[in-house]
Amino acid sequence: MLKARLKKSYKTFQINIFLHIAPLSYNLLLGPSGAGKSLTLKMLSGFERPDEGYVHFQGQDISHLAPEKRPLVYLPQNLAIFPHLSVEENLVYSFKAQRCPVDKRYFSQIVDEFQLRPFLKRRPSELSGGEKQRLALARALMAQPKLLLLDEPLSALDFHLKMKLIRFLKQTKERFSLTIIHVTHDPIEAISLAECLFILEGGQIKFKGSLAELSKASLLGFASEVSKQLIGIKEWLSKYL
Amino acid sequence: MNEGPFLKIAGLIAFIGVSLITVPIIYIFIKLSSHNIVVTIKDQTVWHSIFTSIWSALWATFIGCIIGVPFAYLLSRAQFKGKAIVESVVNLPVAIPHVAVGIALLSLFNQRTIVGRFFSFFHITFTDTIYGIVLAMLFVSVSFIISSSLVGFNNIEPELEMVSRSLGASANYTFWHITFPLALPAIIRGAVLAFARSISEVGALLILAYYPKTAPILMYERFEEYGLNAARPVTALVILFSVIIFFTLLHFTKRYVKG
Repeated sequence: MLKARLKKSYKTFQINIFLHIAPLSYNLLLGPSGAGKSLTLKMLSGFERPDEGYVHFQGQDISHLAPEKRPLVYLPQNLAIFPHLSVEENLVYSFKAQRCPVDKRYFSQIVDEFQLRPFLKRRPSELSGGEKQRLALARALMAQPKLLLLDEPLSALDFHLKMKLIRFLKQTKERFSLTIIHVTHDPIEAISLAECLFILEGGQIKFKGSLAELSKASLLGFASEVSKQLIGIKEWLSKYL
Repeated sequence: MNEGPFLKIAGLIAFIGVSLITVPIIYIFIKLSSHNIVVTIKDQTVWHSIFTSIWSALWATFIGCIIGVPFAYLLSRAQFKGKAIVESVVNLPVAIPHVAVGIALLSLFNQRTIVGRFFSFFHITFTDTIYGIVLAMLFVSVSFIISSSLVGFNNIEPELEMVSRSLGASANYTFWHITFPLALPAIIRGAVLAFARSISEVGALLILAYYPKTAPILMYERFEEYGLNAARPVTALVILFSVIIFFTLLHFTKRYVKG
């Protein structure tokens, strides 16, 4: 379980949120640009320090831990695949960084699961968009995180590839017993993936709950628009899921 | 797309530019007599000056990297008051006339100053010594290493370092395995330019360290004492060496960048 209270003020923007995330759940953080979605992930992963607040994960206060000591992996929008390393070197990076021997069984399991074996010796620049997404996810799982923070991981993909990866993300979450927080502004991703939906606007959480609860809630502003959009496209989308 | 006459005009201007660089160099070689070449090749003073130039420039580049790379990293990553001023100061050596650099360095590092006496304690003096040559070369060339490294560090997406940390790497591990390798091509480019700048330095050396003579100082001396014909063979040999070294370094840099 993750509990976090995060407060941070800038000259023109303030974020003040409370997150309560159930273990092994898929959580979508939805909001317009500038709502504070990416900032939330950066504060959870330790790259931005909140002015006030805490991050508790599985009963442990991880607020003061350096990013490398937190039991989570942060995956940014651009995937940040190390361009000077081969696919294989990218995959074993977390083992090398922690000066651990590579767990060959786990490595093989992930490589097969993510269908990366034919590409191991290649450079990331030789991979397609979908292959890069799979590599980034596989590399994140190599660190054996309990919590995965995804910052708009599917935003640059076309519709069909996006739907394929959405199915893949669902399977990954189940197979590796992960808790996932996924930031997006795309309603399709929200409908397809969210077990719990957070709608963030102007640095505040305007709604928290399931899609069913969203359709019943009376909301204002962006949250209300999202609610209408989601209900409208849910039925149309069901044939892809 | 029809470019009209613009490409032709640009081509003509480019041809004039290339000619401006290559024709004087080629002309030096055309005007050489075989007798002069043989005499120059047998001249120990010439070889000694070339060796002094290369050796000093290598040291200046090496020390420049030791100082310049961490400095560039600090400028790239840290936010502090007066950062813009520091960034401007870094480029000052490019703007100052090099004779003025020589005078400034001689004023500070001569043996009558505290700084000069401090180094004398370690048997290091800068007037007419190899240390003085390295110091002057370092002063005029370090900007190239800092500027190029800074571009290299600034071009690295911060997310790469964040993901590395998130995957369990310490800040130190991240620097050596992500940041530094990705900035290395830019650092090498800066080092090659710094080496080239060092090897061609004259102005500051005339004031601070005339001896031991570097190749450009020897060329200048031959020209001053014996005229154009005497200076030409030495110049040709130095140009040949400089071109070989420069293109060898560039070749390796390009190979590295391509991976």
